[in-house]
Amino acid sequence: MSEAVLSFDAIRQDFPAPGADSAIRVIDGISFEVGSGKFVAVIGPSGCGKSTLLQMAAGLLMPTRGGVRHRGRPVNDVNREVGFVPQQAQLFPWKTLAENVELPLLLRGVARAERQQRVAAALEAAGLSGFEHYFPGQLSGGMQKRGSIARTLVYRPDVILMDEPFGALDAQTRMVMQEDLQMLAQAAGATVLFITHDITEAVLLADHVVIMSQRPSRLLANIAIDLPRPRDVFEPFRNAGFDAAYDAVWSVFRSQIDIRRRPH
Amino acid sequence: MNEIAATAPPPSDAERPRARRRAWRKALHRVALLLPGAAILIFWQWSAGRLIKEIYVSKPTAVAARLYELFSSGEIYPHLWTTGQELVLGYVFGVTGGILAGYALGRSPRLAGIFEPYVMAFYGIPKIALAPLFIIWFGIGIWSKIALAAIMVFFLVFYNVYSGVRAVDRELINLTLVMGASQRQLTTHVYLPAAAPYVLLGMRMAVPYSVIGVIVGEFTSSTQGLGLFIHEASSTYDPAGVFAGIVILLAFVVVANVLAGKLERRILRWKTPIAHAPSDI
Repeated sequence: MSEAVLSFDAIRQDFPAPGADSAIRVIDGISFEVGSGKFVAVIGPSGCGKSTLLQMAAGLLMPTRGGVRHRGRPVNDVNREVGFVPQQAQLFPWKTLAENVELPLLLRGVARAERQQRVAAALEAAGLSGFEHYFPGQLSGGMQKRGSIARTLVYRPDVILMDEPFGALDAQTRMVMQEDLQMLAQAAGATVLFITHDITEAVLLADHVVIMSQRPSRLLANIAIDLPRPRDVFEPFRNAGFDAAYDAVWSVFRSQIDIRRRPH
Repeated sequence: MNEIAATAPPPSDAERPRARRRAWRKALHRVALLLPGAAILIFWQWSAGRLIKEIYVSKPTAVAARLYELFSSGEIYPHLWTTGQELVLGYVFGVTGGILAGYALGRSPRLAGIFEPYVMAFYGIPKIALAPLFIIWFGIGIWSKIALAAIMVFFLVFYNVYSGVRAVDRELINLTLVMGASQRQLTTHVYLPAAAPYVLLGMRMAVPYSVIGVIVGEFTSSTQGLGLFIHEASSTYDPAGVFAGIVILLAFVVVANVLAGKLERRILRWKTPIAHAPSDI
């Protein structure tokens, strides 16, 4: 693996449990690295603390034990080198699409002319040209999601953290977005840490799939996916080697899912 | 908004009758809106002197005549001027204080933990009971009325702003911090716009409260003002005068409400999505 951008080192996280004296241990010793320019997907059963890892990488939450390093520097304050794409689009409803995408540049003190040019480029890349002056409430769910991604890409963060970004979208929109994300990330050479609960999505998009166990979660496997790019997200089974990669992930992951065997 | 208007296709011939029908419906709605008011006025006019003695309820034509007389003789102007001053100043002080205090407590859980119980306790006091006290403290002039109106407005605005600021989505704030916002930028780009609907709602609801505060103050003790005018009219058995005073107050509240509504629509234009939004992905 090339130079590590993010490294999680023996992360442990306890959360106070309501009505109990002892805290609940959510994460119990997880270590892995995200290499420069790599796309790493984290999958795990719900409630296993996947999103918690992203919060730590963004410096919004400090682990109980262990630590996160960003290019060797310990993260112990809000990490402004990252970009965060949340589950819901979370565009600012009082700002137009262009103002939303412009905001990170404005906050970072980028000059006006450059802002305008970069916003236009980001919206163009996200396929949103012509909707600059719409408010988020006037856009469809998929368009809001594109806007949210454009708002993150526009300031070229060192790492992009994505928290189940396509979970709430319908199946068709989702495939289109996966395709676009693959293209955008590849073109930008972006480093991505991507949380999902969808194995197909993880295998299709990622260079590495990190599998977490149920709570208190440990790292079950970190599997490299060596499928050639670009990958066909619309017909996953047509990618050469997809079945084997999927099996490799599923054989580890299935132990974490409570499959009730029905009598035939 | 112009862009959207520009991209909408021009109405075709088939759509024209529909537009005309819509205009008709709008006109009909206006008429329907005026009907109940007109009915009340007509019934009032008819019943005065027939069902109830005119000395008790006066009648619309008498009230209108009285209003004309008050304005043409100039008798009402000093009262209007005094009450107007009290209303505007009381409202402005109350709103300003409410926004500042609500925002400060909304942003700082520590401050809120200390001061919220006190504010809650003071909120429970019937403000009208303070009127005599305020007269003693601030005198018989305009300042006692300003204080009374301000304190009534303050609590209303305070609670709206306080809950508005606290309702801001935590994730949105974290997101903005990661994007690179300082505390100050967080205020201008997230907290203020997010709290704006609550602030404006509080401001709109506060208008009638400022009127109540001022009028109660003037009823209690004053040398000039609409409240005093109404009070005197009622103690000299002049119902037309009472109603004339009430009509003026009513007009003030209606005008203030329309202005507040306009302001609200302007500031919150993002809250009113247009019917035809694009639906492709």
